[in-house]
Amino acid sequence: MATATVILLDGLAYGMVLFIISVGLTVTMGLMRVVNLAHGGFAMAGGYLAAMMIRAGVPFFAAAALATLAAGILGGIAEMTVFRPLYRKGELAQVLMTFGLTFVFIAALTWLFGTDVKILPIPSYLAGPVDLGFRTYPTYRLFLIVVGLLLFLLVWFVIEGSLYGARLRAAVDNPRMARAVGIDVNRLFTITFVIGCALAGFGGVIGAEMLQLDPFYALRYLVLFLVVVAVGGLGSFKGSFVAAITLGVVETAGKFLFTDIAAFLLFALVFVLLLWRPNGLLPPKSVA
Amino acid sequence: MNPAWHALPWLLAIAFYFTAGGYLSLGTSILVYILLTLSLDLALGYAGIITLGHAAFFGFGAYGAALFAIHVNADPLLGLVVATAVTAVFAVVTGMLILHTQGVTLLMLTLAIAVLLAEAANRAYKVTGGDDGLQFTMGPVLGLFRFDLWGQTAYLYTLVILFVWFVIAWKVVHSPFGRSLDGIRQSQARMRAIGTPVWWRLIAIYAISAAMAGSAGALSAQTTRFVGLNTLGLLVSGIAVVMLVLGGTRRLYGAFLGAAVYVVVQDFAAKVNPFYWMFVIGGLLMATVLFLEGGLMEVLDIGRRWLRRLLRGSDPT
Amino acid sequence: MRRILLGLGAAIAMLVLPGLAAAETVKVGVIGVFSGGFARWGEQFKQAIEVFQKHHGKVVNGNTIEIILRDAGGPDPAKARQLAEELILREKVQFLAGFAFTPNAMAVAELITEAKMPTVIFNAATAVITRRSPYFVRVSFTLPQVSAPIAVWAPKNGIKKVVTVVSDYAPGHDSEQTFIKVFKANGGEILESIRIPLSTTDFAPFFERVLQQKPDAMFMFGPGGPPSVAMINTWASRLKPAGIQLVTTNETQAIDLPKIGRAAIDAIGSSNFTEIIDTPLNKRLRADMTAMFGPDQVPDVATVGTYDGLQLIYMTVAKLGPRPNPDDVMKFWTSGLKWESPRGPIAIDPKERDIIQGVHLRRVKEVDGKLINVDFEIVPDVKDPWKEENK
Repeated sequence: MATATVILLDGLAYGMVLFIISVGLTVTMGLMRVVNLAHGGFAMAGGYLAAMMIRAGVPFFAAAALATLAAGILGGIAEMTVFRPLYRKGELAQVLMTFGLTFVFIAALTWLFGTDVKILPIPSYLAGPVDLGFRTYPTYRLFLIVVGLLLFLLVWFVIEGSLYGARLRAAVDNPRMARAVGIDVNRLFTITFVIGCALAGFGGVIGAEMLQLDPFYALRYLVLFLVVVAVGGLGSFKGSFVAAITLGVVETAGKFLFTDIAAFLLFALVFVLLLWRPNGLLPPKSVA
Repeated sequence: MNPAWHALPWLLAIAFYFTAGGYLSLGTSILVYILLTLSLDLALGYAGIITLGHAAFFGFGAYGAALFAIHVNADPLLGLVVATAVTAVFAVVTGMLILHTQGVTLLMLTLAIAVLLAEAANRAYKVTGGDDGLQFTMGPVLGLFRFDLWGQTAYLYTLVILFVWFVIAWKVVHSPFGRSLDGIRQSQARMRAIGTPVWWRLIAIYAISAAMAGSAGALSAQTTRFVGLNTLGLLVSGIAVVMLVLGGTRRLYGAFLGAAVYVVVQDFAAKVNPFYWMFVIGGLLMATVLFLEGGLMEVLDIGRRWLRRLLRGSDPT
Repeated sequence: MRRILLGLGAAIAMLVLPGLAAAETVKVGVIGVFSGGFARWGEQFKQAIEVFQKHHGKVVNGNTIEIILRDAGGPDPAKARQLAEELILREKVQFLAGFAFTPNAMAVAELITEAKMPTVIFNAATAVITRRSPYFVRVSFTLPQVSAPIAVWAPKNGIKKVVTVVSDYAPGHDSEQTFIKVFKANGGEILESIRIPLSTTDFAPFFERVLQQKPDAMFMFGPGGPPSVAMINTWASRLKPAGIQLVTTNETQAIDLPKIGRAAIDAIGSSNFTEIIDTPLNKRLRADMTAMFGPDQVPDVATVGTYDGLQLIYMTVAKLGPRPNPDDVMKFWTSGLKWESPRGPIAIDPKERDIIQGVHLRRVKEVDGKLINVDFEIVPDVKDPWKEENK
């Protein structure tokens, strides 16, 4: 029982990291159908920035906040310069463009920081173990779960409860109709893109304990983020939450129970889920 | 198009053979990538099958050819045919499972197949050699031409196979079947409405494309007498897509241009500074998207228009 | 050391007797990984080459040694072979060298045999490589070589029950098999053997499984880089509090210790090179590394592999001249060569063309606020046990 609880917690923590980084990608891909392979680059940039600031003496949370902000600004700049000319072009041009951008990200970070793993020190009060009563457990992972849950509630609150959220839902469900009733979908997209990149940057910071930072981060973990998007359903933030948690918990439990087939678990699961629900677990109305 | 243009790439390829010096093996790897990219043009360019899993077929063909050479027969052509055929069968089976989906879903499914196959190859290390790879020997081509140190046989052998596949691809895309793929790409619903068996057509082109990719893999294995897990890697799938879009989709020759430019630029940039060739490639990809709508083939189109104008002394438009 | 002095003596003799040998350029082609996710290996190759050239110059007996770097971009056998062909046919190199990854080295075996190209392996560590071509020589280490001594030591020092956890690829298998065999032969018991997929990001579930088995220690082999760092962190947070020791091979190199942090304390390692050992050559290497590349830079396994590979090539040119016959080179390399490496005395096994060297058993400790590997035993003159097994 104790072990089962620990495995569940591990799965949740892993799922939360995936959710935080992927949620922005899900929504922007659902909104504009822009295939953004550079998304991992923003997460990586956030992580690197925070690592630099913490080394320079900035406290963990301040560094995380600043890195989140910076990733958002970087996302805004990229949206205005690189992504805007892409909307008219097909998916393939977007793939090429964002793949190229990822290469530039990787080369830039290699140039600035070398190829080694960058360690992002976590504050001492989160670093140690915590006593759960039946055994100890890393405090930081509990922190990840709490932050993930809070963030999910915040995103839910904004999307379900604010005007911005109402517009966003309308635009994802039916972009043409949304335009017709006067919603500025392009502006909505810019805002969402910036928020998505900021969240990715935040995820890059707090997830660095699990998804280690090095220049190849942007490509290495990209597949994981795309998996969450596809399994959750394009444009659906709740879908990406359910997908991330499901994948996190099932994969973690599977690895514990069946170490022999651990390598096949994630993608076998993805394969089955996508054949079962090709539009994702919780697709928005436009594709359901 | 003036038939003279068709001869150009092949003449260049033959001229390269006589002038390459120590670069023939680079040339061979370009030809292999061209074949892989060409195969992707059929599936992705013409039929609109969004895939990030062509490495599965490339690797399947590569391991097929290697295992056949080790356990059955070292004749290259026989091995190539067998590897190509088994890859096609593999594509039909997986295609039947996934080709009813589209877009990101299809992308992830193709990717999942490639990842699962790569993991399987790693686990079956007793057969595949796992991470160590498989080293093997090949017999001479047609019983006459042995694979020499200079890579001459390898280059010409690959070039001939590429030519055969190009002719097949040309016939396919200019057949009524090929034209129906155009329709399917634009709207599956519409094609279904006019009675086209969409699903079967997709499986057919998927199998042809996979067979080509399998041939490319087999050639890669045979010409280097080595096969490793990297042939099944995500990078192979990704680079094939990049080469195709870089060159220009639905042009067939786009594959030639994209693969050649990518490999040569990478090779050159890596020699100038091995640490930062990604800057150069990344910049090249972004510039292509921003300034050339139809990939590098557009440069050729512009060049051709210029040439025609120059020759005729008037604007043909 | 003596041979280097001899070489230097010869060099001076040549310089003062002009006209004896025409100055030529000796080309050495180094195939490494300088870009992509594994570029760290290439960086170490490059640094070692620069330090070596600072120590020994670029001229041997009036012949300039030119080093040509080529990037394979990762484990990519076809690319490695293509680069090797170009280096041999186009650049007309006298020596091939480098190879961070086993598949890349394996892929050139046929080629170097046909071309009779003496080839020095700087890093790739799967045991079988040198059997694949009579023109290979290795100056790095083999995985069984570093895995066996610790398996002898462990049962004598209270570690009776072990769970092995290795990355699921050839080097991991090599390491696992050697450890299990030697450990059992010395009276140890293996409770479970877990192979972790290379694509793993969160290691917690595997380590929870180890925890359930309640072993005395966990033997671990990771693929280096981010995953290895994560594995040691997971051990520290989950297994160490339960009193389960960590036994590894090269996982706790000084270059990685700052990244692993205090989590690495008490980890037991087994390596062919401990970075702080007091050989004169190592002191000099360390000093120059920090002077040239910054205070964080320390020599690592691949650094000394490259350094010694170049020592070998310089010795060869000094002895046989700029255009040696390949078979003479191989005869020289299999003549029972011994020389002084930064890691201590090393030798080349004349029969297997593989390295014989001391293996350092050590423990990570915090000394004056710095994490370092402290040797508690050096097993001298270890041959590759795999070759002894598979004669």
